[in-house]
Parts: sequence; structure tokens; C-alpha cells
Amino acid sequence: MTKSTRRRIGSLVRYVLLTFWAVIAFFPIYWMVSTSFKIDTQWFAWPPVYFPDPPTLANYAAVWLGREEVASTQFTLSMQRPLQSLMNSTIISFTSTFLAVAFGSVIAYGASRYKVLTEARMFQLLMLRMIPPIVVVAPLSLYYSALGLLDTRFGLIVIYSITSLPYAVWMTKSFIDEVPREVEQAAEILGASRWRTVFEIVLPLIRSGLVATFLFILILTWSEYLLALILSKTEVATLPIELSKYQGSTEGRVYGRQAALAVGITLPLMIVGLIIRKHLARGFSFGMVRR
Amino acid sequence: MARIELRNLRKEYGSVVAVKNVDLEIRDGEFIVFVGPSGCGKTTTLRMIAGFEDPTAGEIRIDGQVVNDLEPRDRGLGMVFQSHALFPHKSVAQNIEFGLRMKRVPEAERKKRVREVAEMVRVTHLLDKMPAQCSGGESQRVALARTLVTNPSTFLLDEPLSSLDAKLRRELRAECDRLHEELKRTFIYVTHDQEEAMTLADRIVVMRAGQIEQMGSPLDIYSQPASYFVADFFGSPSMNLVAGEIVHEGGTPRFRSPRFDIDLSNRYAGTPPGKVTLGIRPEHVGVGVNGEGGNVLPVRLVEPLGKDTLLYFDDGTERAFVAVTEGLANAAMKSGTPIALKFDPAKIYLFGADGKRIAAR
Repeated sequence: MTKSTRRRIGSLVRYVLLTFWAVIAFFPIYWMVSTSFKIDTQWFAWPPVYFPDPPTLANYAAVWLGREEVASTQFTLSMQRPLQSLMNSTIISFTSTFLAVAFGSVIAYGASRYKVLTEARMFQLLMLRMIPPIVVVAPLSLYYSALGLLDTRFGLIVIYSITSLPYAVWMTKSFIDEVPREVEQAAEILGASRWRTVFEIVLPLIRSGLVATFLFILILTWSEYLLALILSKTEVATLPIELSKYQGSTEGRVYGRQAALAVGITLPLMIVGLIIRKHLARGFSFGMVRR
Repeated sequence: MARIELRNLRKEYGSVVAVKNVDLEIRDGEFIVFVGPSGCGKTTTLRMIAGFEDPTAGEIRIDGQVVNDLEPRDRGLGMVFQSHALFPHKSVAQNIEFGLRMKRVPEAERKKRVREVAEMVRVTHLLDKMPAQCSGGESQRVALARTLVTNPSTFLLDEPLSSLDAKLRRELRAECDRLHEELKRTFIYVTHDQEEAMTLADRIVVMRAGQIEQMGSPLDIYSQPASYFVADFFGSPSMNLVAGEIVHEGGTPRFRSPRFDIDLSNRYAGTPPGKVTLGIRPEHVGVGVNGEGGNVLPVRLVEPLGKDTLLYFDDGTERAFVAVTEGLANAAMKSGTPIALKFDPAKIYLFGADGKRIAAR
């Protein structure tokens, strides 16, 4: 077998494997989108219905416009407030992510440039993230209850900011470490103050990294379930909590509605990802390319 | 105008002493070069002058004023870094302009000054480019321009040419020299390249293990090395250094090693016998092709360089013993040819066991 034939076969095998993997990875997403357009008899149909026929917007109308055609016999349906959950999720996730990245990058700058955190402290910080939330969530809910933070947006913002902080510090520190110290010193000796140097030199250089960090943490907080479940009850349900409500008491899961809601949960993240995709490629490959 | 004084300057990192009590006065307008191997403390000293490192002890004075507690930006200095340290997200013009902007110079004036220095270091054609589009040599010119434009009293240059290739290095070395001539400013230049030090400096400060080993004009350093270290560091090819001992025979001092037996000048008559290292520069070794004389060694390798020919001999140590002969007369010499080596006693240096040069009387 010649070298070029071998290479061609190798490449063919690679493509087949990758295609197979792509199908496995994308099928649930396809299934979610497809189900959201199905009429209720096709949700559980066997053999499975791959393409909704006829496609319907009823699920979307029911979830997002509150137009429920069938008499709602399921008691849970009365508690569903998807639009309010979307609003809650947006406010809580974006605010807590912003706070985590803002505070995290300040800590990271100190850790990178002034060594305010030793290597051991940095790892301890990451260890915070290793604690399973289930361990702390029960005592936390007691504190929250005493402080009046239970079932408030502020309460969730606080806990999400804190739990995301280790990621924010670690990620932004790796970007700041990449900025040569000498570039900052050049600015300093040319007359720039410390703040000026940070805002005019460091921040623009790590912008892509900050954006990547922001999206990474946003995804985590956007889809967080356990803390939201325990620390909020009814007032500030987030989208993942909302998703769990589509469980009919008599007819099992209301798949079509759930799928329509799930599409709505996924879409904002995809839109954000698309808007900042230019930064993402650079942010996630930061440091891998030797300059 | 800037006169810089270092008084008892010391820098420790934990238990490591990077700079040990350096005392130095740099005159206004002087081109001074700190030279030494990696880790000798030269860059640390420069960074303390710049204000990027705080001295553990001692004083830095600029024009008589102690500046230890001043921020880098308040010291009136300019610095060029080894890595150029250009701002990658700003164009060349914005890079050069940066210092002026920080000093709140009006825009029209800024534009004018940027043009002027760009012409001075020949980067006018690069003004609209980004640093990533500039070559190494161009980047370093831009870095020079960025420093020049703020009109600092003193230029600190931290191995500015070490990341460039040999040709560019020569070119930019000449540029630094020209700028010094034109601007009449104080230049403090750090390098590990002895050739750069020799060609640029008014005065060379040789550093080793955090201390000043020797200080003097390039000629002084070359012809009057104070120690084995300095003798070995300067000159290309390096000085021949042969370990042996000094003996006195009938009142005349002689140097003996397994391969050599050399007459020494009577000025060493008072030197007590014992272990010494003999040093002689390759250009001062006489070569007798007929193989007559006391110190005959076979040639191991002949290296014709065009202007000169280098002859390498095996003197029983790890490094070869080298002689330089003018022209290409010996270029065709076969390896193994016995050669008589002659030593002019006036050109011989002796170094004691402590590495210090033994003074001839």
C-alpha cells in the first residue's frame, strides 16, 4: 500500500468516526427542536416521528404566549411562568456573571502581578469549586432564610457570583499572565499611571479572554439547577427550574411544551455565542500560539 | 542633564543576593555599558535605576536627588526593553505618541514630534502599521522612537539588540552610537555581548555575581584585565589561559605547565612561587613555522578567516590554545605540523589562585 493510499484511508476513517460522533452529539439538539414543532400525538409516537408532520407552533404559543388550547387539568401548569423565568434567568445570570468576571479579574491581576495569592491559595480557591453544592446547600438555605435572601434574585446573584469566582480568577489570570510584564512597564515609564496602564494596555489585550470567561461562566449560571431549586421557591424561578415544571400530574411529561421552552433557553446562549464568536476563538486559543 | 549615582546598592530576593553593594557614579552624557554573564545582576541594577525593582538597601540618586521612592514615571528616564515591549493593539504612530499623550502634550504638537522622531530613527514608512507587521529590527527602532519622543534625560537599554540577527545588530548598534552622539544624553546599556560593550561604551562596568568586577574604558578592560574572569570574558577569540605554576630559576621567574615552559619578565621576580594561570591574547602569540624554540606544539586545526588565520593547539586542557596569524599565509598548514610558539613577556598576564591578576612590579 502506498503512502498516499494509506493517508487517504486514514482520512476516510477519521471522517467516518467524526461524522458518527457529530450525529450522536447533535441528535438530542435536533430532537429537542423537532419535538417542539410536533403535535402532542407525535411526542411519544412509535415508530418515532423524525420530521414533525404537520409542523405546529402550538407548543411555542402555549409556552411563550400563554395560549393553552386544552383545558389545563395538570395542576402544575397553573404555576408556569416562562416569561418571568426568562427575565429572572437573564437578570440573575448576566449580573452574577458580570460581577464574577469583574471581581475575578481584579483578584487575578493582583495574583498575577503582585503575587497577592500564593500558588497554594490559588488552588484553595479552585477547591471551593470542588465542594459538591449539595453539601452546602442545606445549611446555606438556613442562612438565606435568616437573612431574608431566600427566593430573591439578589440571593441567587450573590451565590452565583461567589461560586463562579474561582473560575473567573483562574481563567482571567491565565490571560493576564500572557501579557508581558514589560509591556506594562513600558507604559509606566512613559508616564502612565497604574490605572491608566490597566485600562489602556492590559484590558484591551485581554478583552478576548474576558469575553470567553464571561460566556463560560454565563453558561454555568444560566443552566444551574440545584442551588436555584433550593434557594428559590416560587418567586424567582429560573429557566432550568421552569423546565422541570412541565411534568403533568396525569399525563407524564409534556414533551412538546418542554421542548419549546428548552429551545427558548438554548437560543439566548447561542445568540450571545454568535455575537462574540470572534473573541471566543481568540480567547480559547490564547496562550496556545507562541508569539 | 542627568548624573546618576548608585550608593551601596543591594537587592535580595529572599536568600538570593542579586546585587551586592554596588557603588557607581555615572557622569552626565556618558555611555555606560553593564556587561556580564546571565545572572550577574546587570539587568536587576538597571531595573532598580528605572524604578521597577525596589532596592533592599542603598541609594539611587539622579542629579543628587534620592529617587528610591519615586515611581518610574517620575524619574525622567526612558527605557528600551529586550522584547521591544510595543503595545500590540496600537499602531506604530500610537505607540510613539503614547508618552506624549500621558504628558498631555497638545495633539498638533504630538503629531509634529512623532514625525520628527520617526524620521530620526527612519520608521516614517511604518507609522500606520501595527507592531505585528513590523520585523524585529523595525520593532526595535519603533521602541527607540517611542522612548526618544519623550526626551528623557537618560536612556536605559536592556539588551535591546539581543533578539536580532547579527547584521541588524551591527546596524542598530551604530544607530545607538549615532543617537548618543547627537543627543548628548546619558545612556545606560545592558548587554552580555562583550563586542557590543567594547564598541559602544565610554566606560564598561563588568559585573559578576552581583558585584562590579572591573570598571574602565574599553581599552583598559581589554588591555588591563583585573581578573581571570574579565580576561576570559573580553576578546574574540578569548584570551588563552593556561594553568601552571611560577618557579624561580637562578633568580629568573619562569612559568611551567605540562606543555609550556615560558620565560617571564623580571617584573615577576618578586612573585612567590606557586600555582598561577598564565594569560596571553591569541594575537600576541608568536608563531614559528620552522618548529624551533622551547614551546613546540602540533597544530590541531587551521581556521582561515580571510583577514586572519586562527591556529588551534592542544595544550592538554579542555579549551584549545589559539594563535592568530595575519593573512592566509598559514591557511594551508596541515594539522599535526609542529609549531614553535613564542611569548612576548610584556604581553603576558598572570592570575593568582584567587582569580585576581598578579601585579608585575
